[in-house]
Amino acid sequence: MSTARERILAAAKANKPAETKLPDVPVFGGDASVERFAAVLAGIGGQVSWINGPRPSAAELQQLFPDARLVASPLFPASVPVDQQTPISVLEGIDLAVLPGEIGVAENGAVWLPEPAMLHRALPTVTQHLALVLDHRRIVATMHQAYAQIPDAGGYGLFVAGPSKTADIEQSLVIGAHGARSLVVLLH
Amino acid sequence: MKVALFVPCYVDQFYPQVGIASLQLLQKLGITAHFPAQQTCCGQPLANSGCERDALPIYQHFVDTFQDYDYVVAPSGSCVYHVRKHFDKMEQSDAVQHVRAAAYDLIDFITQVLGVTDIPGRFPHKVGLHLSCHGQRGLHQANESEMTPVRDGQLRRLLSSLDGLELTELDRNDECCGFGGTFCVSEAAISGRMGQDRVADHVRNGTAVLTGGDMSCLMHLQGIVRRRQLPIRVLHAAEILNGLSC
Amino acid sequence: MSHSIRAEKFVADVDRTTWHDETLWFVRQKRDKAVYGVPEFQELRELASQIKEHTLSRLDDYLVQFEAAAKANGVHVHWAADAREHNDIVLGIIRRHGATRVVKSKSMLTEECHLNPELIRAGIEVIDTDLGERIIQLRDEAPSHLVLPAIHLKKEDVSDTFHLHLGTEKGNHDPQQLTEAARQHLRAKFLAGQVAITGVNFAIAETGGVVICTNEGNADLGVNLAPVHIACMGIEKLLPRLTDLGVFTRLLARSATGQPVTTYTSHYTKPAEGRELHIVLVDNGRTQQLGRPDFRASLKCIRCGACMNTCPVYRRSGGHSYDFTVPGPIGAILSPNIDMKKHSSLPFASTLCGSCTDVCPVKIDIHVQLYKWRQVLAEANEIPASKKWSMKFMGRMLTSPKAFGVSGRLGRQALRLLPHGLTHATSLNTWAIARELPEPPKQSFREWYQQQEGKS
Repeated sequence: MSTARERILAAAKANKPAETKLPDVPVFGGDASVERFAAVLAGIGGQVSWINGPRPSAAELQQLFPDARLVASPLFPASVPVDQQTPISVLEGIDLAVLPGEIGVAENGAVWLPEPAMLHRALPTVTQHLALVLDHRRIVATMHQAYAQIPDAGGYGLFVAGPSKTADIEQSLVIGAHGARSLVVLLH
Repeated sequence: MKVALFVPCYVDQFYPQVGIASLQLLQKLGITAHFPAQQTCCGQPLANSGCERDALPIYQHFVDTFQDYDYVVAPSGSCVYHVRKHFDKMEQSDAVQHVRAAAYDLIDFITQVLGVTDIPGRFPHKVGLHLSCHGQRGLHQANESEMTPVRDGQLRRLLSSLDGLELTELDRNDECCGFGGTFCVSEAAISGRMGQDRVADHVRNGTAVLTGGDMSCLMHLQGIVRRRQLPIRVLHAAEILNGLSC
Repeated sequence: MSHSIRAEKFVADVDRTTWHDETLWFVRQKRDKAVYGVPEFQELRELASQIKEHTLSRLDDYLVQFEAAAKANGVHVHWAADAREHNDIVLGIIRRHGATRVVKSKSMLTEECHLNPELIRAGIEVIDTDLGERIIQLRDEAPSHLVLPAIHLKKEDVSDTFHLHLGTEKGNHDPQQLTEAARQHLRAKFLAGQVAITGVNFAIAETGGVVICTNEGNADLGVNLAPVHIACMGIEKLLPRLTDLGVFTRLLARSATGQPVTTYTSHYTKPAEGRELHIVLVDNGRTQQLGRPDFRASLKCIRCGACMNTCPVYRRSGGHSYDFTVPGPIGAILSPNIDMKKHSSLPFASTLCGSCTDVCPVKIDIHVQLYKWRQVLAEANEIPASKKWSMKFMGRMLTSPKAFGVSGRLGRQALRLLPHGLTHATSLNTWAIARELPEPPKQSFREWYQQQEGKS
């Protein structure tokens, strides 16, 4: 008896239509301004703050996140050291993660976060609050330009657009479903 | 130009005034349309019920009836859409291809073939325009809210050209009324509710005269208006454009 | 039971129907606003449609390419011809790890395969972690919408459910507080999860990776805390290139909820060190649908739910009236492929208004397929006999102008002469439930026209 794999592939081959062309996707232009990025991000529950360089200073962090006690970050000596081996019991207590984002997308407020930037894969969603540091010159107009700059997605990577949210109860928007309760993009 | 008037089966039986208005309106625009007596129906009720095969003789009858005319004009976008879109099931003889291409909704014929952009006349009433789906989405007679916020269309423009006519701005400009052919009886509960909601939109926004290009939707909406004894008059657009005063 | 009977029950609650209709119309309006804001939106729809059509036209090649790339990434790839095989594969993986606690993010495929009851029967705790899914899981109900699974419920219903199962305060139906209670409840489940099961939004043939889109972050939280990830996908989820995601991520959330993009667009390509990633490729009728030329375009669907939000019938009849995993217009064209007899009424649960086709981000000709399914169903004798015979009678009558004229005249006369109570008896005439019949004129148009011709 043939395997499921063989049967599925044979049926797909037998039943597929005549080959059609794979279209080229044009590079749509668009507004890649910081203003647009900030406005769209505000519209989806996030916010933008400016910092002076790629590594936020203690004073900047204190001003932006006065209540954060347990902080994880690869950008400065943080209160909780995190790597891929950090146990869940430690991860679950983290108040704030400050991670370096790679690309910002003006049309939707998303920031590309590759695996090496997130210390532990669960950190961006297990943390109560999330801050993504982004070079304002790395903001592109649309997802097309963003993907053009990501040659491969790595082992794991994600676009994060604003804080975790849900509208599953009567379509009432609630910020802070399972992931981070707030999202700040720290532009420099 | 040899023009035939096709009067949909239910219009023939229940709304003769719509056929008369169509004939007279065309006359005013310089077109004498003929009404071939052997005409019956486009076959849509059967085909929409899944019985396309039983509709084929009706399609053939339609083609036989109208093949000698340059244009077949009907005051119904839905029937025209059916002829154009679904007569593809027949063998595509020259006659079939000709009739499919020659079928025009009355408003499209007036605006596209005759090139008329405004109709002289006066109709000092608040008019709610019901966009019928087959005309709007099928024949692209009007902009669709799925694509653009701009509300525009040939019938809207023609009606607006009448003196004193004010168009109702509806909350939902192009939601289906729920007629849907046999849907109106096979899904009577949903159909009725959809019609009630459509009528309520007109009531809420002040429609005094409810009109459109398809009498089937209007028959359904009129049934609700009359059941609820609402102060709304229901007229086919041909009646208004033909200079009816009320 | 037919759609119309279930729909009649739903619509009988006038106020709830109003609420359901307005809530989903609001989502449609949010979608419109988002769509109007992207000048190239219609072009993107066309591109998405072409990319999907191309992928289907080389589906076997792309499946092989995807499998090879995924294996090179250290992913375990499984193939399932039907629901049974899918469920066995998933259960087998769970058992091999001796796991008993599973966290699951949204997957219509696993709904389609009825995975949860299988796992529960095997003694495994399965927790749906999407808020809407968790709500209906606690109520033991099926989802009523692709994207908004609990849209048939009001906050009072959720409040009662959470009071019963999560111990929230009775009568407190503040969505913020209810969501917070669910967050706390599900955090504990996430932290304890041994296996995470997810659906898949897109799978990329060239990278061998899968992409999962959520707003809540539940997929990422579940997957990245559990040692084992099982991603279940229909074979039609493939896209050839990573850059194709540029097109699809721009369409998906805008069409679904009017958001510019989902909060999380997560790309899973390799398992984390020391962990496992399994991808289950499922057919379950898809290759059969691929072989139906009139209906294969339904396989382009990206499960955004826009056709439901815009459908005037869905909004007033609710998702459960379809009695199929995928409700609404898209469900009505997918379901007869699975079971023609059971779902025979669904293609008739439409006015064929075409709005579904016009909002569809991948340009599936949904209303055209509804029309075509009707033909298939009638040919297969899956429509009511009364309808079939009346259509045959009508067919004869409408090819004879004489018979048409006579029956029209008789009908009008009957309508004029018979008492209103009889012509409008709702047991005989469902038209009259909500509507008056037209007032019959004395003369038909053709009678008037003949008279005019006689005069001239």
